[in-house]
Amino acid sequence: MKAVIIGAGLGGLLTGAKLAGAGYSVEIFEKLPFTGGRFTNLPYKGFKLSTGALHMIPHGSRGPLAQMLREMGANVNIIDSEPMAVIRKENGEIIPFHDFRNELPLTKQAKLVTVLAYSLKFRPTDDITFRGWILKYFDDDFLLKLADSFCGWSLSLQAQDVPAREMLEIINNMYRYKGSGVPAGGCSAVTGALYEIIESKGGKIYTHSCVEKIIVNNDIAQGVIVKGNQIDADIVISDIGHIGTSSLYDCTDKEYLDKIQNLKPSRGIKICLSSDEPLIGHSGVYFTPYAKRVNGINEVTNADPSLAPPGKHLIMAHQAMISDDARKEIDLGLLDIAQLFPYKKYEVLLIQSYSDGWPVNRASSGSDTGNATPIKNLYIVGDGAKGHGGIEVEGVALGVGNLMKEIGIY
Amino acid sequence: MKVSGDCVGCGQCAAYCPFDAIIVFASAFMNEKCTQCGKCIDYCPLGAISEDE
Repeated sequence: MKAVIIGAGLGGLLTGAKLAGAGYSVEIFEKLPFTGGRFTNLPYKGFKLSTGALHMIPHGSRGPLAQMLREMGANVNIIDSEPMAVIRKENGEIIPFHDFRNELPLTKQAKLVTVLAYSLKFRPTDDITFRGWILKYFDDDFLLKLADSFCGWSLSLQAQDVPAREMLEIINNMYRYKGSGVPAGGCSAVTGALYEIIESKGGKIYTHSCVEKIIVNNDIAQGVIVKGNQIDADIVISDIGHIGTSSLYDCTDKEYLDKIQNLKPSRGIKICLSSDEPLIGHSGVYFTPYAKRVNGINEVTNADPSLAPPGKHLIMAHQAMISDDARKEIDLGLLDIAQLFPYKKYEVLLIQSYSDGWPVNRASSGSDTGNATPIKNLYIVGDGAKGHGGIEVEGVALGVGNLMKEIGIY
Repeated sequence: MKVSGDCVGCGQCAAYCPFDAIIVFASAFMNEKCTQCGKCIDYCPLGAISEDE
Protein backbone atom coordinates (compact mmCIF):
# COMPACT_ATOMS: atom_id res chain seq x y z
CA MET A 1 0.00 0.00 0.00
CA LYS A 2 1.26 3.43 -0.94
CA ALA A 3 0.54 6.55 1.10
CA VAL A 4 1.22 10.11 0.04
CA ILE A 5 1.22 12.74 2.76
CA ILE A 6 0.88 16.45 2.03
CA GLY A 7 2.83 18.50 4.56
CA ALA A 8 5.57 17.46 7.00
CA GLY A 9 4.17 19.16 10.09
CA LEU A 10 3.60 17.20 13.27
CA GLY A 11 0.37 15.64 11.95
CA GLY A 12 1.98 14.57 8.69
CA LEU A 13 5.06 13.14 10.41
CA LEU A 14 3.06 11.26 13.07
CA THR A 15 0.88 9.80 10.32
CA GLY A 16 3.92 8.96 8.21
CA ALA A 17 5.62 7.17 11.11
CA LYS A 18 2.43 5.24 11.92
CA LEU A 19 1.86 4.18 8.33
CA ALA A 20 5.53 3.34 7.68
CA GLY A 21 5.41 1.23 10.84
CA ALA A 22 2.35 -0.58 9.49
CA GLY A 23 4.18 -1.49 6.30
CA TYR A 24 2.96 1.27 4.00
CA SER A 25 5.29 2.80 1.48
CA VAL A 26 5.25 6.46 2.55
CA GLU A 27 6.14 9.61 0.65
CA ILE A 28 5.78 13.01 2.30
CA PHE A 29 5.85 16.27 0.35
CA GLU A 30 6.65 19.51 2.16
CA LYS A 31 6.63 22.85 0.39
CA LEU A 32 8.97 24.58 2.87
CA PRO A 33 12.76 24.01 3.02
CA PHE A 34 12.43 22.28 6.41
CA THR A 35 10.21 19.69 8.10
CA GLY A 36 8.28 20.02 11.34
CA GLY A 37 5.90 22.81 10.30
CA ARG A 38 4.84 24.85 13.31
CA PHE A 39 6.40 22.32 15.68
CA THR A 40 10.11 22.61 15.17
CA ASN A 41 13.00 24.79 16.29
CA LEU A 42 13.78 28.16 14.80
CA PRO A 43 17.45 29.01 15.31
CA TYR A 44 17.81 32.68 16.19
CA LYS A 45 20.88 34.46 17.59
CA GLY A 46 22.06 31.34 19.38
CA PHE A 47 18.62 30.59 20.84
CA LYS A 48 16.40 27.73 19.84
CA LEU A 49 13.12 29.52 19.28
CA SER A 50 10.20 27.68 17.75
CA THR A 51 8.42 28.03 14.42
CA GLY A 52 5.01 27.93 16.09
CA ALA A 53 4.09 26.06 19.24
CA LEU A 54 6.00 26.66 22.43
CA HIS A 55 8.60 24.08 23.45
CA MET A 56 5.91 22.30 25.38
CA ILE A 57 3.84 19.16 25.38
CA PRO A 58 0.60 20.02 27.19
CA HIS A 59 0.27 16.71 29.06
CA GLY A 60 3.99 16.01 29.31
CA SER A 61 5.29 12.44 29.38
CA ARG A 62 1.87 10.98 30.24
CA GLY A 63 -0.28 12.48 27.50
CA PRO A 64 -1.55 11.16 24.16
CA LEU A 65 1.37 12.55 22.11
CA ALA A 66 4.00 11.11 24.47
CA GLN A 67 2.15 7.78 24.46
CA MET A 68 2.08 7.69 20.65
CA LEU A 69 5.78 8.59 20.47
CA ARG A 70 6.64 5.79 22.91
CA GLU A 71 4.61 3.25 20.94
CA MET A 72 6.55 4.20 17.81
CA GLY A 73 9.87 3.96 19.59
CA ALA A 74 10.61 7.66 19.09
CA ASN A 75 13.55 8.65 21.20
CA VAL A 76 12.25 11.81 22.90
CA ASN A 77 12.99 12.82 26.47
CA ILE A 78 10.04 14.80 27.86
CA ILE A 79 10.90 16.66 31.05
CA ASP A 80 7.72 16.99 33.11
CA SER A 81 7.34 20.42 34.66
CA GLU A 82 7.41 20.77 38.42
CA PRO A 83 5.44 22.69 39.48
CA MET A 84 3.01 21.94 36.66
CA ALA A 85 1.75 25.50 36.71
CA VAL A 86 1.39 28.52 38.97
CA ILE A 87 -1.00 31.46 39.04
CA ARG A 88 0.10 35.03 39.54
CA LYS A 89 -2.57 36.72 41.62
CA GLU A 90 -3.67 40.33 41.26
CA ASN A 91 -1.37 41.35 44.14
CA GLY A 92 1.61 39.64 42.51
CA GLU A 93 1.58 36.64 44.85
CA ILE A 94 2.31 33.30 43.16
CA ILE A 95 0.20 30.25 44.07
CA PRO A 96 0.31 26.66 42.81
CA PHE A 97 -2.32 26.11 40.09
CA HIS A 98 -4.33 23.57 42.06
CA ASP A 99 -4.77 26.03 44.92
CA PHE A 100 -6.96 28.25 42.76
CA ARG A 101 -9.97 26.86 44.62
CA ASN A 102 -8.76 28.50 47.83
CA GLU A 103 -9.19 31.89 46.18
CA LEU A 104 -12.95 31.33 45.99
CA PRO A 105 -15.45 32.00 48.78
CA LEU A 106 -16.20 28.78 50.72
CA THR A 107 -19.69 28.37 49.23
CA LYS A 108 -18.27 28.51 45.69
CA GLN A 109 -15.48 26.08 46.62
CA ALA A 110 -18.05 23.50 47.67
CA LYS A 111 -20.16 24.19 44.60
CA LEU A 112 -17.12 23.82 42.32
CA VAL A 113 -16.57 20.25 43.53
CA THR A 114 -20.14 19.15 42.89
CA VAL A 115 -20.77 21.10 39.67
CA LEU A 116 -17.48 19.97 38.15
CA ALA A 117 -18.06 16.33 39.08
CA TYR A 118 -21.60 16.49 37.65
CA SER A 119 -20.54 18.28 34.47
CA LEU A 120 -17.65 15.90 33.82
CA LYS A 121 -20.08 12.98 34.05
CA PHE A 122 -22.92 14.65 32.17
CA ARG A 123 -21.35 16.97 29.62
CA PRO A 124 -23.46 19.94 28.53
CA THR A 125 -25.21 19.05 25.28
CA ASP A 126 -26.22 22.58 24.37
CA ASP A 127 -24.02 25.25 22.85
CA ILE A 128 -23.09 26.90 26.14
CA THR A 129 -19.60 28.40 26.08
CA PHE A 130 -17.06 27.87 28.86
CA ARG A 131 -17.56 31.49 29.93
CA GLY A 132 -21.33 30.99 29.91
CA TRP A 133 -20.91 27.83 31.99
CA ILE A 134 -18.83 29.68 34.62
CA LEU A 135 -21.31 32.57 34.72
CA LYS A 136 -24.22 30.15 35.08
CA TYR A 137 -22.83 28.28 38.06
CA PHE A 138 -20.30 30.59 39.76
CA ASP A 139 -20.41 34.15 38.41
CA ASP A 140 -16.97 34.74 39.87
CA ASP A 141 -14.55 37.34 38.49
CA PHE A 142 -11.39 35.44 39.45
CA LEU A 143 -12.64 32.22 37.82
CA LEU A 144 -13.58 34.10 34.65
CA LYS A 145 -10.12 35.69 34.46
CA LEU A 146 -8.43 32.36 35.16
CA ALA A 147 -10.54 30.70 32.46
CA ASP A 148 -9.49 33.32 29.91
CA SER A 149 -5.87 32.91 30.98
CA PHE A 150 -6.04 29.11 30.67
CA CYS A 151 -7.97 29.11 27.37
CA GLY A 152 -5.72 31.83 25.96
CA TRP A 153 -2.55 30.01 26.94
CA SER A 154 -3.55 26.54 25.84
CA LEU A 155 -5.95 27.20 22.95
CA SER A 156 -5.36 30.83 21.90
CA LEU A 157 -9.04 31.46 22.53
CA GLN A 158 -11.06 33.38 25.07
CA ALA A 159 -13.36 31.38 27.33
CA GLN A 160 -16.32 32.86 25.42
CA ASP A 161 -15.09 31.15 22.24
CA VAL A 162 -14.65 27.63 23.62
CA PRO A 163 -17.65 25.31 23.92
CA ALA A 164 -18.05 24.22 27.56
CA ARG A 165 -18.19 20.56 26.54
CA GLU A 166 -14.79 20.82 24.80
CA MET A 167 -13.29 22.57 27.84
CA LEU A 168 -14.71 19.93 30.19
CA GLU A 169 -13.15 17.25 27.99
CA ILE A 170 -9.85 19.13 28.38
CA ILE A 171 -10.30 19.39 32.17
CA ASN A 172 -11.00 15.66 32.22
CA ASN A 173 -7.73 15.09 30.35
CA MET A 174 -5.95 17.36 32.84
CA TYR A 175 -7.06 15.00 35.60
CA ARG A 176 -6.17 11.93 33.55
CA TYR A 177 -2.81 12.94 32.07
CA LYS A 178 -1.71 15.80 34.36
CA GLY A 179 0.35 18.77 33.33
CA SER A 180 2.90 19.85 30.87
CA GLY A 181 6.43 18.92 29.96
CA VAL A 182 9.25 20.27 27.83
CA PRO A 183 10.77 18.04 25.13
CA ALA A 184 14.55 18.11 25.73
CA GLY A 185 16.01 19.83 22.68
CA GLY A 186 12.74 21.65 21.93
CA CYS A 187 9.96 20.94 19.44
CA SER A 188 12.40 19.61 16.84
CA ALA A 189 13.35 16.76 19.18
CA VAL A 190 9.87 15.39 18.52
CA THR A 191 9.56 16.09 14.81
CA GLY A 192 13.22 15.13 14.24
CA ALA A 193 12.69 11.75 15.93
CA LEU A 194 9.64 11.11 13.73
CA TYR A 195 11.65 12.03 10.63
CA GLU A 196 14.26 9.43 11.59
CA ILE A 197 11.62 6.74 12.18
CA ILE A 198 10.04 7.38 8.79
CA GLU A 199 13.40 7.26 6.99
CA SER A 200 14.50 4.16 8.91
CA LYS A 201 11.37 2.37 7.70
CA GLY A 202 12.03 3.30 4.08
CA GLY A 203 9.73 6.33 3.92
CA LYS A 204 10.75 9.34 1.88
CA ILE A 205 10.39 12.98 2.88
CA TYR A 206 10.86 15.68 0.25
CA THR A 207 11.22 19.36 1.16
CA HIS A 208 10.82 22.23 -1.34
CA SER A 209 8.08 20.08 -2.83
CA CYS A 210 4.69 21.71 -3.15
CA VAL A 211 1.76 19.47 -4.01
CA GLU A 212 -0.06 21.20 -6.86
CA LYS A 213 -3.04 18.93 -7.20
CA ILE A 214 -4.74 15.92 -5.67
CA ILE A 215 -5.81 13.44 -8.34
CA VAL A 216 -9.42 12.43 -7.81
CA ASN A 217 -11.40 10.04 -9.98
CA ASN A 218 -15.03 9.15 -9.24
CA ASP A 219 -14.67 10.73 -5.80
CA ILE A 220 -11.70 8.53 -4.96
CA ALA A 221 -8.24 10.01 -4.30
CA GLN A 222 -5.61 8.32 -6.45
CA GLY A 223 -2.48 10.36 -5.98
CA VAL A 224 -1.00 13.83 -6.28
CA ILE A 225 0.86 16.02 -8.74
CA VAL A 226 4.16 17.44 -7.48
CA LYS A 227 6.30 19.66 -9.73
CA GLY A 228 4.39 18.33 -12.71
CA ASN A 229 4.99 14.68 -11.82
CA GLN A 230 2.16 12.30 -11.06
CA ILE A 231 2.59 10.23 -7.91
CA ASP A 232 0.03 7.44 -7.54
CA ALA A 233 -1.18 6.46 -4.10
CA ASP A 234 -3.73 4.21 -2.41
CA ILE A 235 -4.33 6.80 0.26
CA VAL A 236 -3.67 10.56 0.40
CA ILE A 237 -3.40 12.27 3.76
CA SER A 238 -3.21 16.02 4.05
CA ASP A 239 -1.67 17.99 6.91
CA ILE A 240 -2.66 21.35 5.46
CA GLY A 241 -6.21 21.56 6.81
CA HIS A 242 -9.62 21.01 5.24
CA ILE A 243 -9.77 24.33 3.39
CA GLY A 244 -6.27 24.17 1.91
CA THR A 245 -6.84 20.58 0.89
CA SER A 246 -10.20 21.28 -0.76
CA SER A 247 -8.50 23.81 -3.03
CA LEU A 248 -6.23 21.06 -4.44
CA TYR A 249 -9.08 19.24 -6.17
CA ASP A 250 -12.42 20.12 -7.65
CA CYS A 251 -14.55 19.90 -4.54
CA THR A 252 -18.26 19.94 -5.35
CA ASP A 253 -19.74 18.87 -2.01
CA LYS A 254 -21.60 22.05 -1.00
CA GLU A 255 -22.46 20.83 2.48
CA TYR A 256 -18.81 20.00 3.24
CA LEU A 257 -17.58 23.28 1.76
CA ASP A 258 -20.08 25.26 3.86
CA LYS A 259 -19.01 23.39 6.97
CA ILE A 260 -15.28 23.93 6.46
CA GLN A 261 -15.66 27.58 5.44
CA ASN A 262 -17.03 28.14 8.94
CA LEU A 263 -13.90 26.74 10.60
CA LYS A 264 -12.31 29.63 12.43
CA PRO A 265 -8.56 29.44 12.92
CA SER A 266 -7.27 30.44 16.34
CA ARG A 267 -4.73 33.24 16.42
CA GLY A 268 -2.09 34.20 18.91
CA ILE A 269 1.09 36.10 19.65
CA LYS A 270 4.28 34.74 21.15
CA ILE A 271 6.85 37.14 22.59
CA CYS A 272 10.29 35.54 22.99
CA LEU A 273 12.51 37.06 25.66
CA SER A 274 16.10 36.58 26.72
CA SER A 275 17.34 37.24 30.22
CA ASP A 276 20.51 36.65 32.24
CA GLU A 277 18.55 36.00 35.43
CA PRO A 278 15.50 33.73 35.53
CA LEU A 279 12.21 35.64 35.44
CA ILE A 280 10.20 32.66 36.66
CA GLY A 281 12.63 30.06 38.01
CA HIS A 282 10.87 26.85 36.94
CA SER A 283 9.55 25.34 33.72
CA GLY A 284 5.88 25.18 34.72
CA VAL A 285 3.31 27.48 33.16
CA TYR A 286 3.12 30.92 34.78
CA PHE A 287 -0.53 31.92 34.33
CA THR A 288 -1.21 35.67 34.32
CA PRO A 289 -5.00 36.10 34.68
CA TYR A 290 -4.66 39.75 35.66
CA ALA A 291 -2.49 40.84 32.75
CA LYS A 292 -4.29 42.76 29.98
CA ARG A 293 -3.24 40.43 27.17
CA VAL A 294 -0.52 37.95 28.15
CA ASN A 295 -2.18 34.69 29.20
CA GLY A 296 0.85 32.81 30.43
CA ILE A 297 4.61 32.56 30.31
CA ASN A 298 7.03 29.67 30.18
CA GLU A 299 10.76 29.75 30.95
CA VAL A 300 11.85 26.67 29.06
CA THR A 301 15.56 26.92 29.86
CA ASN A 302 14.79 25.74 33.41
CA ALA A 303 13.99 22.36 31.84
CA ASP A 304 16.62 22.43 29.08
CA PRO A 305 19.37 25.09 29.31
CA SER A 306 20.57 24.19 25.80
CA LEU A 307 17.61 26.10 24.34
CA ALA A 308 19.57 29.32 24.98
CA PRO A 309 23.25 30.28 24.78
CA PRO A 310 25.22 29.60 27.99
CA GLY A 311 24.20 31.89 30.86
CA LYS A 312 20.98 33.00 29.15
CA HIS A 313 17.35 32.14 29.77
CA LEU A 314 14.71 31.76 27.07
CA ILE A 315 11.26 32.94 28.10
CA MET A 316 8.15 32.71 25.94
CA ALA A 317 5.02 34.73 26.69
CA HIS A 318 1.86 33.76 24.87
CA GLN A 319 -1.39 35.60 24.30
CA ALA A 320 -4.53 34.98 22.29
CA MET A 321 -4.98 37.65 19.63
CA ILE A 322 -8.19 39.29 20.73
CA SER A 323 -8.63 42.09 18.18
CA ASP A 324 -7.72 42.34 14.50
CA ASP A 325 -5.11 44.98 15.32
CA ALA A 326 -2.02 42.81 15.80
CA ARG A 327 0.25 45.80 16.51
CA LYS A 328 -1.98 47.03 19.30
CA GLU A 329 -2.19 43.49 20.71
CA ILE A 330 1.62 43.23 20.70
CA ASP A 331 2.00 46.64 22.37
CA LEU A 332 -0.38 45.56 25.13
CA GLY A 333 1.54 42.29 25.54
CA LEU A 334 4.86 44.13 25.87
CA LEU A 335 3.30 46.47 28.43
CA ASP A 336 2.05 43.44 30.40
CA ILE A 337 5.54 41.95 30.48
CA ALA A 338 7.03 45.24 31.67
CA GLN A 339 4.46 45.36 34.47
CA LEU A 340 4.86 41.70 35.42
CA PHE A 341 8.65 41.97 35.77
CA PRO A 342 9.29 45.61 36.69
CA TYR A 343 12.70 45.09 38.30
CA LYS A 344 14.06 42.49 35.90
CA LYS A 345 16.34 43.02 32.94
CA TYR A 346 15.34 41.21 29.77
CA GLU A 347 15.60 41.64 26.03
CA VAL A 348 12.86 41.06 23.46
CA LEU A 349 14.28 38.56 20.96
CA LEU A 350 11.46 38.06 18.47
CA ILE A 351 7.73 38.69 18.41
CA GLN A 352 5.84 36.09 16.39
CA SER A 353 2.19 36.32 15.48
CA TYR A 354 -0.01 33.60 14.03
CA SER A 355 -3.31 34.04 12.22
CA ASP A 356 -5.17 33.47 8.95
CA GLY A 357 -3.13 31.18 6.65
CA TRP A 358 -0.49 30.40 9.31
CA PRO A 359 -2.56 30.33 12.49
CA VAL A 360 -2.21 28.75 15.91
CA ASN A 361 -4.76 26.09 14.94
CA ARG A 362 -6.44 25.77 11.57
CA ALA A 363 -9.58 24.71 13.42
CA SER A 364 -10.00 26.36 16.81
CA SER A 365 -10.54 23.85 19.61
CA GLY A 366 -14.12 22.65 19.70
CA SER A 367 -14.69 23.34 16.00
CA ASP A 368 -12.73 20.41 14.56
CA THR A 369 -14.72 18.44 12.00
CA GLY A 370 -12.76 15.19 11.95
CA ASN A 371 -10.44 13.48 9.47
CA ALA A 372 -12.86 12.56 6.69
CA THR A 373 -13.40 14.46 3.44
CA PRO A 374 -16.06 13.89 0.75
CA ILE A 375 -13.37 12.02 -1.19
CA LYS A 376 -12.68 8.36 -0.47
CA ASN A 377 -9.08 7.65 0.59
CA LEU A 378 -8.43 11.36 1.25
CA TYR A 379 -8.10 12.34 4.90
CA ILE A 380 -7.05 15.36 6.94
CA VAL A 381 -4.70 15.30 9.94
CA GLY A 382 -3.00 18.01 11.99
CA ASP A 383 -4.35 21.09 13.70
CA GLY A 384 -7.25 21.19 11.28
CA ALA A 385 -8.47 17.77 12.46
CA LYS A 386 -7.71 17.44 16.15
CA GLY A 387 -9.29 14.87 18.44
CA HIS A 388 -11.70 16.14 21.09
CA GLY A 389 -10.29 17.34 24.39
CA GLY A 390 -6.77 17.54 23.00
CA ILE A 391 -4.86 20.74 23.65
CA GLU A 392 -2.76 21.71 20.62
CA VAL A 393 -0.27 18.93 19.79
CA GLU A 394 -2.15 16.49 22.03
CA GLY A 395 -5.17 17.14 19.81
CA VAL A 396 -3.00 16.52 16.74
CA ALA A 397 -1.91 13.15 18.19
CA LEU A 398 -5.51 12.23 19.11
CA GLY A 399 -6.63 13.20 15.61
CA VAL A 400 -3.96 10.99 14.02
CA GLY A 401 -5.01 8.19 16.40
CA ASN A 402 -8.64 8.60 15.28
CA LEU A 403 -7.61 8.29 11.63
CA MET A 404 -5.51 5.20 12.31
CA LYS A 405 -8.54 3.52 13.94
CA GLU A 406 -10.69 4.51 10.97
CA ILE A 407 -8.33 2.90 8.48
CA GLY A 408 -7.70 -0.11 10.70
CA ILE A 409 -4.14 0.51 11.93
CA TYR A 410 -3.43 0.05 15.61
CA MET B 1 11.78 42.65 -1.22
CA LYS B 2 8.04 43.10 -1.21
CA VAL B 3 5.85 41.75 1.60
CA SER B 4 2.20 41.16 0.78
CA GLY B 5 -0.83 41.42 3.02
CA ASP B 6 -0.71 37.63 3.49
CA CYS B 7 2.19 38.06 5.96
CA VAL B 8 1.02 37.29 9.51
CA GLY B 9 4.33 38.06 11.26
CA CYS B 10 5.47 34.53 12.17
CA GLY B 11 9.13 35.59 12.07
CA GLN B 12 10.51 32.67 10.11
CA CYS B 13 12.02 34.98 7.47
CA ALA B 14 13.76 37.07 10.13
CA ALA B 15 15.34 34.00 11.74
CA TYR B 16 16.65 32.62 8.46
CA CYS B 17 17.79 35.96 7.01
CA PRO B 18 21.62 35.72 6.73
CA PHE B 19 21.96 39.52 6.96
CA ASP B 20 19.76 40.27 9.99
CA ALA B 21 17.83 42.52 7.65
CA ILE B 22 14.25 41.71 8.65
CA ILE B 23 12.31 43.25 11.53
CA VAL B 24 9.08 41.50 12.49
CA PHE B 25 6.31 43.32 14.30
CA ALA B 26 2.93 41.87 13.29
CA SER B 27 4.40 41.81 9.77
CA ALA B 28 7.85 41.59 8.23
CA PHE B 29 9.84 44.68 7.24
CA MET B 30 13.17 44.66 5.41
CA ASN B 31 15.77 47.22 6.41
CA GLU B 32 18.75 48.67 4.52
CA LYS B 33 20.88 45.56 5.23
CA CYS B 34 18.73 43.54 2.78
CA THR B 35 20.78 42.27 -0.18
CA GLN B 36 17.79 40.86 -2.08
CA CYS B 37 19.27 37.37 -1.68
CA GLY B 38 15.80 35.85 -1.63
CA LYS B 39 16.28 33.34 1.18
CA CYS B 40 13.22 34.75 2.96
CA ILE B 41 11.07 33.89 -0.06
CA ASP B 42 11.83 30.19 0.45
CA TYR B 43 11.13 30.21 4.17
CA CYS B 44 7.86 32.14 4.11
CA PRO B 45 5.05 29.64 4.72
CA LEU B 46 2.53 31.92 3.07
CA GLY B 47 4.40 32.88 -0.08
CA ALA B 48 4.01 36.46 1.09
CA ILE B 49 7.47 37.69 0.07
CA SER B 50 8.51 38.43 -3.50
CA GLU B 51 11.30 40.23 -5.28
CA ASP B 52 10.92 43.91 -6.06
CA GLU B 53 9.70 44.51 -9.58
